[in-house]
Amino acid sequence: MKTIMLVCAAGMSTSLLVTKMEKAAEIRGIEVDIFAKSAQEIDYTLEQKNVEVLLLGPQVKYMQSQIESKLVGKNIPVAPINMQDYGMMNGEKVLDQALQLIDNK
Amino acid sequence: MSKVNELLENKMMPIAGKLGNNKFLIAIRDGITFAMPLIIIGSLFMIIASFPAPGWEAWLGKMGIADFLWKGTDSSFGLIGLIASFGIAYSLTRQFNVDGIGSGIISLSAFIIATPFISSDAGAGMPIPYMGAKGLFIAIIMGLLNGYIYQWFINRNIQIRLPESVPPAVSRSFSAIIPGAVIITMWLIIYSVLSTFDLPNVHDIAQVILGKPLGLLGNNVFGTIIVVGLNSLFWFVGIHGGNVVNSVMQPVWIANLDENRVAYQAGQELQNIITLPFMDNFVYIGGGGATIGLVLVLGYLARKKKTSKQTKALAPITVVPGLFNINEPTMFGIPVVLNVMLVIPFILAPIVNVVVTYSAMASGIVPLTRAAASWTMPPIFSGFLVTGDISGAILQVVLILLDVLLYLPFVLAVEKRFKAEE
Repeated sequence: MKTIMLVCAAGMSTSLLVTKMEKAAEIRGIEVDIFAKSAQEIDYTLEQKNVEVLLLGPQVKYMQSQIESKLVGKNIPVAPINMQDYGMMNGEKVLDQALQLIDNK
Repeated sequence: MSKVNELLENKMMPIAGKLGNNKFLIAIRDGITFAMPLIIIGSLFMIIASFPAPGWEAWLGKMGIADFLWKGTDSSFGLIGLIASFGIAYSLTRQFNVDGIGSGIISLSAFIIATPFISSDAGAGMPIPYMGAKGLFIAIIMGLLNGYIYQWFINRNIQIRLPESVPPAVSRSFSAIIPGAVIITMWLIIYSVLSTFDLPNVHDIAQVILGKPLGLLGNNVFGTIIVVGLNSLFWFVGIHGGNVVNSVMQPVWIANLDENRVAYQAGQELQNIITLPFMDNFVYIGGGGATIGLVLVLGYLARKKKTSKQTKALAPITVVPGLFNINEPTMFGIPVVLNVMLVIPFILAPIVNVVVTYSAMASGIVPLTRAAASWTMPPIFSGFLVTGDISGAILQVVLILLDVLLYLPFVLAVEKRFKAEE
């Protein structure tokens, strides 16, 4: 089971992407737990769940350094989602990105 | 052009980073967000109590239901100041890696201390207005100050410590005592000094020193145009503008809305044109940049046979979210971000919405807003709900038409380019 957390301002637009990524994973037969959260919920979610990778909506890319400082020593990679993939809601590509980040840990 | 973009991005990213990562601004934004469900629920009661159907209000009054509905509004929407005093301290302390609940509770107590009690034959009570908009500005100051003092004590380990054999939950309840006593005593002294010398209470002072200057920007049409323009500029370089700009302005818009609500309940004339629903439901129709115009044009084009594949692929992921004022797929999919072809309507459309809505409300054609319907409520419905009048919905139809016209030529140009690429 791969646990992937997506973060954007309110967790609304990334939740659209979650559905697409889940579909992509289902087709490939990968077991995943993908969920979208708002920036406020990061701390709480990390306490509750064993997150393996955290992807940021490009519109909150500016939060990256702040979030990284929260994750020091936790071995959770943080990366912004590519603008085009995000805009086209390309579940396949974003899933690839997440899986690759997990593999490279 | 890519150089200009690069320059913009390099200049604005650090500003957004600074504003968006500022602990105090985050605390204000998140702390007030805690009150959002209450604002919406309270608005719901209010919409029921004042539903614009002939005879409805009189009937509710006769049945004795109206008072209970208003009680519901007072006790939810009307508590935003109280909730913010807790939420802001909580959020700030959390960001310093200290337990936020203890800090929030202390700040809540301090907020009550700073509020003058009123007494009657039935006993002493708290003035309801100070729990809402009238108390919001002191709640912000207190939340920040109390939260900061609280974490200062804990992080310097000035707290009562119990032996390790004591369960952590118990010792945590003790750790709040020293910082809590300091904070509460401090506000008690301030209150007693002000009260003894018959000076205005801190609620009223805060409204003048914080509420007035922010109001200068938030209450007039020019300040709002600047704010809206900034929002578009931030979005243009791919930064969530609302997240950056709103943390400063949202308290003013919420306070304005609450003042309108109170005035409405008291049967007085509403005063504030620019409020939270003014921004969320009229200016930012379809999301930041008023992109409803963009997605509707796109949706229309997609139905035609000869349209580019790109437009056809984009329409389903942009139109439906757009109706709920979510436009990230639009921003990054078309894209709007860093796209010079769309920057003009993207800046202009929301500004036109400000001017038209402001004029319509200032001239009395459309009633002022008095309830919140959440920013994800689709237009036409939201306009009716927040103004309590059908003219609010009609105004939104007019705004949508204007936005469509503004975006039309630019979207056609984009479509042409899509076609050429294919």
